[in-house]
Amino acid sequence: MTKVKRFTYLMLLLAMAVSPVVLAQAGYSQRAKEIGTHLKCMCRGCDMSAGLCAHPGGSFSGPCDTAKDMLKEVDAHLAKGESEQQIIDAFVAKYGSLVYMEPPKKGFGLVAWLMPIAYSIVGLGLLVFVVRKWAIKPPPAAVVPTGISGAAPNEALERARAQAARETED
Amino acid sequence: MDVFGSFTLLLAFVCAAYAFVGGIAAILTRHPLLVKSTRQAGLATCVLIFIATFSLEYLLFTDNFSQAYVVSHSNRDLSAFYKVAALWSGQEGSLLFWSFLLSVYVISVLIAYRNKNGELMPYVGVVLAGVQIFFLTLNNFVENPFKTLAIVNASGMLDPFTRMDGNGLNPLLQYPEMVIHPPNLYSGYTGFTIPFAFALAALLARYPGEKWIHLTRKWTMVAWCFQSLGILLGAHWAYAVLGWGGYWGWDPVENASLLPWLTGTAFLHSVMMQEKRGMMKVWNVWLVFCTFLLCILGTFLTRSGVVSSVHAFANSNIGPWFVGFLMLTMVVCFAAYVKNRDYLKAENMLDSMISRESSFLFNNLLFLVACIAVLSGTLFPVFSEWFTNNRISVGAPFFNKVMIPIGLAILFLTGVGPLLAWRKTSADSLKRNFGWPLIVGVVCGVAAFLMGYHDGASVLCLFLCGFVTWTIVMEFYRGGKVIAARTGMSLMMASHELAMRNTRRYGGYVVHFGMVLVFIGLAGAAFNTEAQKAMNIGDSMKLGKYTLVLQSGDTKAEKNYTAQRMIVEVLEGNKQIMMLYPEKRQFQGTEQAAGTMVAIYSTLREDLYVVYAGMDPDTNMPVIHAFLNPLVKWIWLGGVWVVLGTLLALAPNRRAVLAVAGAPQTAPSAIAQALNPGVTLREGHD
Repeated sequence: MTKVKRFTYLMLLLAMAVSPVVLAQAGYSQRAKEIGTHLKCMCRGCDMSAGLCAHPGGSFSGPCDTAKDMLKEVDAHLAKGESEQQIIDAFVAKYGSLVYMEPPKKGFGLVAWLMPIAYSIVGLGLLVFVVRKWAIKPPPAAVVPTGISGAAPNEALERARAQAARETED
Repeated sequence: MDVFGSFTLLLAFVCAAYAFVGGIAAILTRHPLLVKSTRQAGLATCVLIFIATFSLEYLLFTDNFSQAYVVSHSNRDLSAFYKVAALWSGQEGSLLFWSFLLSVYVISVLIAYRNKNGELMPYVGVVLAGVQIFFLTLNNFVENPFKTLAIVNASGMLDPFTRMDGNGLNPLLQYPEMVIHPPNLYSGYTGFTIPFAFALAALLARYPGEKWIHLTRKWTMVAWCFQSLGILLGAHWAYAVLGWGGYWGWDPVENASLLPWLTGTAFLHSVMMQEKRGMMKVWNVWLVFCTFLLCILGTFLTRSGVVSSVHAFANSNIGPWFVGFLMLTMVVCFAAYVKNRDYLKAENMLDSMISRESSFLFNNLLFLVACIAVLSGTLFPVFSEWFTNNRISVGAPFFNKVMIPIGLAILFLTGVGPLLAWRKTSADSLKRNFGWPLIVGVVCGVAAFLMGYHDGASVLCLFLCGFVTWTIVMEFYRGGKVIAARTGMSLMMASHELAMRNTRRYGGYVVHFGMVLVFIGLAGAAFNTEAQKAMNIGDSMKLGKYTLVLQSGDTKAEKNYTAQRMIVEVLEGNKQIMMLYPEKRQFQGTEQAAGTMVAIYSTLREDLYVVYAGMDPDTNMPVIHAFLNPLVKWIWLGGVWVVLGTLLALAPNRRAVLAVAGAPQTAPSAIAQALNPGVTLREGHD
């Protein structure tokens, strides 16, 4: 990141922190709310992010006090000019890894991200393997009824008809 | 009534145990009387479970507050409608309800096949009795719903004790959908027991051929339909009641209900491979085993609270029982497979990579990857705690990122699969089949972009929706045209006739179309916006093209709750279009005392979703929280089509002969066309 870019970014953050975007009654900024969507609300009563906490079943279905405090904390970090990643790191240091909404792409959390990719690759590999194995083998006699040698021709025809019906029914 | 209920449950357990042990003896000795008596015991088990369930409902309806379960989940003011639902709103009751629904299936199977499949049915009976024994063990000895309240008196003895009133039903559950969502979902969970029982029985009995698949085809579809409907109703409940503006939060319990749905869907497709081509026999058996195991796992996750969730209503000690049952089932399945695996030899081989067969393989791959990804994501917090002593939470953003590509790939296959021929597809037919759908897809994608949906995944999704829809339209059009030419019917009538002649295939297409609608709805989620504002009377707020004006507020007292209601006028420009009445309900005598009633102005384009969040604790002003959620309505419409499609697929095929006989005298040209082998072959084209 160039100096100029970093400066603009800082100014932007600063502008956001002090701008009228601060929700008048809520006491936190829109930016804090955005960052808050990456942090889990620590009230232990909902499974939602601090930014989107609606606290189902509570007497107030908006952000609960815990979420509001977290968002105000985000604002405090923003005022110090910290980046989104720095803020998330600060929260993890404070609350532990429970505060993540999605696993971090480092350490053990990376495993979570690699798992689906691994399944897809292994699955695809297995599929290709199986298909090739199936394709190499010559089709067994059951597929193409060669009834002329063994059974009577009529019977073979009947079998072929039954197979055709079975395979084209739907 | 409580002693009676308790007794019938115990008797049911004894009957199930007899059906199980006697059934094994019957299989070994083949004594006809033993076979008959174990079958009767199976029937008796079901009837006794019905009686026990009705006893609990009776206690709920008669406000018998000497009963622990009634006290915890009902009160005098609760309306009758919700007293029915109280049956499955707690741990003990919902486990009894599981047994109840399973018994409905079991008794239907036992009666439907009473004179058929004599070789197989004793095995099926044993497997079903085994599953029933597990749940009856829980009902009787672990989570008995018929517990009486008692207090310790002065002499240290227990005295029965009756409360004046109960605690009432959890307000989150006091919503019409909560009365139909759990029965649907549970009917899905329990329904997969039937194909499981037949698959295991066929394997144990070395029952010839594909018969078990033919026998269970409709049962699987019924279970699948209930499961789909249950999931969608649950999503709608979350949307309309929880007041957070969304319908799917990747909550562990939601995930648990999705898992068997994914494998069940894979199974519904891969059975066709076995029916048509005699392939994938081992795979199908394992797929249905896994579906059943995932149903049990789902019940376990819902009921044990092992992963935290809004649904885990009770944390309890039933976990080890479920783990034990899962292990036992796995061992039995594996042992049966190892012993009799030679009977599952495939008959046919794959001819080409570009064929219907391979599209089914890819379909199964994607559904399985989706299933395992959701499963491992759901359990990841537990893993991370094991390995690192640190619980890493996995929330909605993770699942969205992982599942969107998989979902889109599945949607793509939905369009491609049916256009590929069995065995081998020529490049020529690919061109012929894909040209128009691709054009329609592109038009839809571009239109979506021009309408302001600027998000890669959403545009791709809408492109695919157009593509898939057109492939389905073409399937109906082609088949319909042939029948129209043969019989002189109009194209509409002919398409109808076509669907009735091969209900499973065309019912399947209708389900696919329903899923397309659901995907259209999901594509809208990227563009949700929201606004929240503390407002005085007369204040307004803007959201999208709408202006919300708070007109007034009032309070109305209902039987068991007091509702605070806000009256919000919705304006579009200067034109008034709607009055919305979001509510906050304060329930009496419950621990969790508040509920929301969301007011939704729903159009095909978007939902205006307005929540009265309550009084702002700081300013004491009413807070209105409004969401603008595009395209949500399509999801619910899609659900309707999915159900209609399944019903069509369940209907018996109409014989072509009858239809031709009933048709008006065909014109000579039509007869000529009917005799033209080119046209006749097209009808069978697949």
